Amino acid sequence: MQHDEMIWQVINHQFCSYKSTIGKAKSDKTMFCRHPYSVTGLCNRTTCPLANSKYATIREEEGKVHLYIKTVERAHSPKNLWEKILLSRNYSKALQQLDEHLAYFPKALVHRNKQRLTKVHQYLIRMRKIKLKELSGRKAKMVGIHRKIDQREERREKKALTAANIEKNIEKELVERLARGTYGDIYNFPEVPYQKALQQAEEDAEVEEEEEEEYESEEEEGEGIVEYVEDLEDEEEEEEDVEDMEYMGDGQWGSGSEEEEEEDSDEDSEEDSSSEDESSSSEESSSDDEGKAKKKKKPASKRPKTQRRKGTRVEIEYEEENEEENPMEQDAVAGMAW
Amino acid sequence: MAARPLVSVFSLTGDKSGETSLPAVMTAPLRSDIVQFVHTNMNKNNRQAYAVSLYAGKQVSASSWGTGRAVARIPRVGGGGTSRSGQGAFGNMCRTGRMFAPTKTWRKWHRKINTTQKRYAVASALAATAVPALVMARGHVVDNVPEIPLVLDNALESTKKTSQAKEILASVGAFDDVEKAADSKQIRAGKGKMRNRRYTLRRGPLVIYSNNDGVEQACRNLPGVELCCVDRLNLLQLAPGGHMGRFCVWSQSALEALDTIYGADGKRIPTAAMTNADLARIINSDEIQSVLNPAKAGQATYAPKANPLKNIDALEKLDAYAAAARRAETKAQEARASNKAQLLAAKRGVKKERKQFKAQGKAFYEASVKQGDVCADGFDM
Repeated sequence: MQHDEMIWQVINHQFCSYKSTIGKAKSDKTMFCRHPYSVTGLCNRTTCPLANSKYATIREEEGKVHLYIKTVERAHSPKNLWEKILLSRNYSKALQQLDEHLAYFPKALVHRNKQRLTKVHQYLIRMRKIKLKELSGRKAKMVGIHRKIDQREERREKKALTAANIEKNIEKELVERLARGTYGDIYNFPEVPYQKALQQAEEDAEVEEEEEEEYESEEEEGEGIVEYVEDLEDEEEEEEDVEDMEYMGDGQWGSGSEEEEEEDSDEDSEEDSSSEDESSSSEESSSDDEGKAKKKKKPASKRPKTQRRKGTRVEIEYEEENEEENPMEQDAVAGMAW
Repeated sequence: MAARPLVSVFSLTGDKSGETSLPAVMTAPLRSDIVQFVHTNMNKNNRQAYAVSLYAGKQVSASSWGTGRAVARIPRVGGGGTSRSGQGAFGNMCRTGRMFAPTKTWRKWHRKINTTQKRYAVASALAATAVPALVMARGHVVDNVPEIPLVLDNALESTKKTSQAKEILASVGAFDDVEKAADSKQIRAGKGKMRNRRYTLRRGPLVIYSNNDGVEQACRNLPGVELCCVDRLNLLQLAPGGHMGRFCVWSQSALEALDTIYGADGKRIPTAAMTNADLARIINSDEIQSVLNPAKAGQATYAPKANPLKNIDALEKLDAYAAAARRAETKAQEARASNKAQLLAAKRGVKKERKQFKAQGKAFYEASVKQGDVCADGFDM
């Protein structure tokens, strides 16, 4: 007994590893005892299994209810501390057994044990009921929700989903299969673009041949040596700014009033010829130079000219994409969406 | 404890092989306050100094611009051409300024503790190791230990192999505590993990011997196990964290040596203020009660105060009308509740009736269907 008091002083005021509290404010604080042999779950002087050398508990393991008793005589030996007595499955008989074994125990402790026994029996009955209902199919088995775990798994699933790159992998796989030839000749391309592509491929082949010839000729001449040659034709050039050019209608820009030149016919012929992008640009540059030259030579004369025939005319050609491809005829192709 | 009880001595295989008497120290008073005080101070004695550099934050030639420049008066770095110029310096509030109260190495790191206090604490801690409840409360797993204090044969001191030590502890039931310590190994939370204190571990059993014939090497690698010679018992090991009740495994000679260390010729064992500390029992004992004066007769006994806000009878004494109203209300509520049962029964009756009605209709329909196709043979209008 002497020891009990000392033990309780130490445990209560100093440290007990089984004590846990809920509630921060002093008024709301409840202290719990996590000792597996505690009768009540509360941390009390009278119900502390460590601070009472004469103690008894009820414990239920796998449906079997045991009474555990602890006495002073065995206090020094933790291995043999608790005497284990199996109680009857019958509630009233179990109560009698309690009375019998805890005859000389403090009444309060006996009462606590009886309360615990009652609770145990009640929850065992409830468990059986639920199990029966579950087995007969009348009630579903209740499983607890673990919010932390569930949320963690959800998070991980999301991450795994994005990491899997499903669409990309599917695409990769399909393309691989196509390359391997598992689909044989069953290609399902839209027909018209396919034909265009074929045509394009043919033309590319022709152009390649031409280019090869050109390259060959060039190589014959100079073998890649760059020569810089004077531009003898047009000396005293005055470059015309694009800003200075005026719009003369019909998509033509020029420097406005211009003068006749001997070389008009040449200009016309040059300008009339059908143009590809490269040649037109060269034409433009050449016509530019000529126009500027003319301007300088005869500044005084202001003979009006028809816009079409004379005057520096800069034909600005607007490049059109897909010049070579014929516009798609929407009616003819089957399988087109629009 | 009046007579000094006997303590069993166990062989290395776990069987009882002898007895010895409990040393007198184990009956010392359990003074958790002294132990806590001494422990907190003793714990400071192995600290290493730390401080910031002597010139930290001061190696700038900065001076205040004074007033009139529409800036705060803190000293500012002079010069130019760098973003550093014009920045505040020297103050604890400034970036790269000296800290407030720079830590110094001449801080008082160690603490002196009176020798008697230190001895008292050790004696108390030793006494606590002999109380199984305190050992359990401290958190050690001792459910399979045959006796506390756990004393083993002197052969324990000559174990050479760790595997052998492990077997010995297992046979004696002490290995559960070692396992608990092993399971508890975690990476430390906080910066300590990069300061060579990477892992934290629970404390396991403390093996106490009188002369080392190999125990140290055998047991030291087991997780949580610590070793100590009787001659130099350490409070920091006997009461880790300032909490009494470490699980100790003694060798027989070590336990017996305690009697020479603490005794008539040795260190003084502190005496308790009360030999019997159970005040409740003393007061209620026959010896005391028989000598007390009899209870005075005719004393007015007062009933405990009843709160009128909660207790209707107490309310009635103050305000009869309010109490009556409350009583009527509770009665009406009960009536409503009992009525509820009737209402439910009535509703269920109605439901039953409806079901019957529906069943009748269904039966009629089925019967009529069975009659067969009315127009099968044609009919005359």
